[in-house]
Order: sequence, then C-alpha cells, then structure tokens
Amino acid sequence: MLRRILALSCALGLVAAACGDDEEIGAGPTVKISSFNFGESQILANLYAEALTEKGIPVELKLNLGSREVVKPALENGEIDLIPEYTGTLLGFLKGSPSSDQNKTYEDLVTELEKIGLTALAYAPAQDKNGFVVTQATADQLDLTKVSDLAGKEADLIFGGPPECPQRDLCLKGLETIYGLSFKEFKPLDVGGPITLTALEGGEIDVALLFTSDGSIAAKGFVLLEDDKNLQPAENVVPVVRKAIADAYGDDLAKALDPVSKKLTTQALTELNRQVGIDGKDPAVVAKQWFTANM
Amino acid sequence: MDFLSEVLDWFANNWDGSAGYVARLAEHLNVSAVSVVIAAGLAIPPAAWIGHRGKGAVLGASLANLGRAIPSFGIVALSLPVTIWLAKRLPFIDSGLGFFPTAVAMVALAIPPIFLGVLTGVREVDQDTVEAGRGMGLSEVQLLTRVELPLASPLILSGLRVAFVQVVATATLGALVAYGGLGRFIVDGFAQHDDVELFAGAVLVAALALLSDWLFRLLARRLPTSRVVSP
Repeated sequence: MLRRILALSCALGLVAAACGDDEEIGAGPTVKISSFNFGESQILANLYAEALTEKGIPVELKLNLGSREVVKPALENGEIDLIPEYTGTLLGFLKGSPSSDQNKTYEDLVTELEKIGLTALAYAPAQDKNGFVVTQATADQLDLTKVSDLAGKEADLIFGGPPECPQRDLCLKGLETIYGLSFKEFKPLDVGGPITLTALEGGEIDVALLFTSDGSIAAKGFVLLEDDKNLQPAENVVPVVRKAIADAYGDDLAKALDPVSKKLTTQALTELNRQVGIDGKDPAVVAKQWFTANM
Repeated sequence: MDFLSEVLDWFANNWDGSAGYVARLAEHLNVSAVSVVIAAGLAIPPAAWIGHRGKGAVLGASLANLGRAIPSFGIVALSLPVTIWLAKRLPFIDSGLGFFPTAVAMVALAIPPIFLGVLTGVREVDQDTVEAGRGMGLSEVQLLTRVELPLASPLILSGLRVAFVQVVATATLGALVAYGGLGRFIVDGFAQHDDVELFAGAVLVAALALLSDWLFRLLARRLPTSRVVSP
C-alpha cells in the first residue's frame, strides 16, 4: 500500500524525495495481465503481477480468459497487455516450427510475435510440456521408463487425454508417427485435469496425457515416461506482451520481470502447482509467498 | 464454401460407422431412456404414496425442488470416483467411465419432474371420487392403482415428458467423461475448433429434444383421460 501511495504521489509530483528512488519506476499505462483457463497460468499471471507492482508499475488482472484462440485476438486488440505463454506451443500456434532447441524456439517466436505487434521478454528455465504418464504399478509390470518402452505393449493399453488429442501432432498423432504407437482405445477426457487423474488412478485408462509440471504426478506416485524421441518441443514459460506497452516502459518491464523468470525453474513451478492443485491454495496467495521468499 | 453448406456436407458424410451420427444418436437415446426408466422406478412409488396419504407432500415437493438446484455436471464429476470404484467391484459393469456416471447424473436430473408430476397428479384427484371408491370397498392400494393413478395420468405423463426432454438435452455432458452420444460432436468440435461439427451436434440435440417433446404430447392426447397438461 505504501508503495502505491508513493507511486501515486510521485506521479502527481507531491513528494519529490520519493521519486529519486531507483527501485521505483513510477506511473505509466496500466498493464492488463491475463491468464489461460488453467491453474498454472493463473499462478504465473499473479507472479508477474506481483513483480510489476513491486516496481510501482500499475497492473490490472483479467484472469481465466480462455484458450489461446480467445487470448490472441484480445492481445492484438489491446484488451489485455501481458500473458504468461509457452514458447513451443505458441510458436506452433503462430504456424512456426518449434523444436527441442530452447533458444531457437524462443528466437523464432519473437520474430513471429513482432509481425503481429507483440513481443516476448526473457524466457524462464521452467518448462511445461505434454507428458505421457502411467501408474507405478503399470510401469513395474510392463517395465516402462520411457515412451518408446511402450512399443509392442500398447495394443492392450487404453490411452486417455483431451478430446483434441487425436488431431494434435504433439499428442496421439505424434505418438503414432514418431513412436509408431497405436493404442487399443482412446478415451476423450479433460485437458490434464481431475477427470484424467481420477481415470488413471482408478485404472480406467493405462496411459494418460498430463502436463509435466503437474504437481499431482509426484504426489500420486505416477511415472512420467521420458520423451526419448523428443516429440515435445521446448515449452519454456515466457511473458508475452503488447509492443505498445513494452515500448512505453522501455527496459523497465524487463528489469521487473526477467529476474522472476530467471529464478523460475520447472521444479519451482511444479511445487507451486502442487500447492494450488493438491493443497487447494489460492493462486494469488501462492504467487505472493513465492515472490516474497525468492525475490 | 459458406457455413450452411459445410454443415449440410457434414450431415451427408458423417452418418455411418461407430463415430457416425446414427450410432451416436442410438447411444444418446440409450442412456436417456435407461435413465428415465430408472428414475421413474425410483420416483413414482414414493410420490404416489405421499400423494395418496396427503402427509409430507410439502416436504416431498420441497426436497424434489431442491434436487433441481444441483447442477448435472457437478453430479457427473462427483460420481466419477464412485462409479470407477464400483466398476472394479461389480462384474456386470465393465467401465466406470462413460455410460455409468452419465446415467447417474441423468437419473438425478429426471427424478424431480417425475416425482412432482405424480405427486401433484394424485393430490389433485377429486376427493369425492376417492371417497366413492372407498365406499365401494376398495383397499387403499386399490384406490391408488385403480382410481388415483389413472386419473393422474395426464400429469404423470407430463412429468415424464419434461424429464425425458431435459435428459436428452443434458446427456451431452456424458462426452466429458468419455461417453459417446451426441455430446461427442459438441465437446470434440469445441476442443478441436471445428465449428461445423459443433453446430451439427447442437442441431441434432435440439431436434431430438423437440421430437421427444412432440411424441410425448401426441401420446398424452391418446390417453383415455385425454387432457393435455402443460407444466
């Protein structure tokens, strides 16, 4: 609160002394931060909001917007200014070709974003990819550690994942073309959510599509099969921002957000997800605690 | 090609096979019919008895109305761990996904309108008629089955009609837990951003709901105690 008062006073030119503080950036356009419709995205949006507020940059949260199909036009129209994204999936969405090379995927992404009036700040080491997961019992019984271990055994196994999976290169299509796997049956469930988890735990499906940073994989003792043929591209967390806002703040946005991204490892992200998904904590509270402890 | 001709094209090309709309329609009707029959079996006896005795009618009606406030998707999601647990232990159920959790939610959805239709129908039977029956020496059960239920049949059928139409429109939720049915087109079309498939699915569900409503009304008009009652 004090910081906000200081920032406001600074903007009005009331307290001259407070304006010299080099930690404070002061007022500029409000940054409208959004998120996708799943928990991890809300945590990340709150985390970046925390970092901007800390530097005195005014923010407004517009969370849970929906899927990428809804988010992209909202960014282009300026209804929102910033959203935590994933490099590989976004590049694929923009018709680029993501690879497992983190740097190249990021650079190609920035090139594509510039064409539509957007840009990306530094990416985090944290990644969140599509993961193929089995129970410990299945892993022991069939001797599975990596995805290619499924070869020759999958004809008896049921695969469960989101309804769009059969059409996606990073999902069933890729499992078939890259790994040569064709399962006994595909059960259309939810997007790495509670229905898929319950079905895997209850033995209704044998292999599930979950997200690699999902805290419940470890919490439930599931086994994440190693993507040994690199079907999944690099999926680093990255703040995507409107060019107009990035230009208005110059380097200040990067100064506020890059240190957060730099400290955000997959392990840290998984732990944050666990607190929200398993312990049922509020994403905003979890983000604030992490920020206070690490920044 | 404009949207409408794409939809017509979809209808021309997607009717056969296990994922075609003929098979999906059959799955949809299957879960809807089974659920309404089970719901009728559960709701009609207590509703008829409460209506006959006249005691506890307000409480019964309140409970039934309360049941209407529970969202069906909540029931699907909540019942999923239970149906999976049961499927592992009951040999005659082969999966805890799909049909079973969908049917649980649809039975819950169908009970309130059936219960209220029977209760209201039996309570509204003219008491003079009931007394006349009693005077002729009919037992309480005979009064119910020979006098009250036949006279209440228009309202009972009206309750069944509302239940079935609601279930047909809502059974689309089954697609969220790997059931087939017409909801498959809506859920898959949405997830895959295939607006043509989504729209075609919605049209099929709406058409099926309207058709069922019409058939029930036709049936009601053919009852001996013919009197079409609207809810």
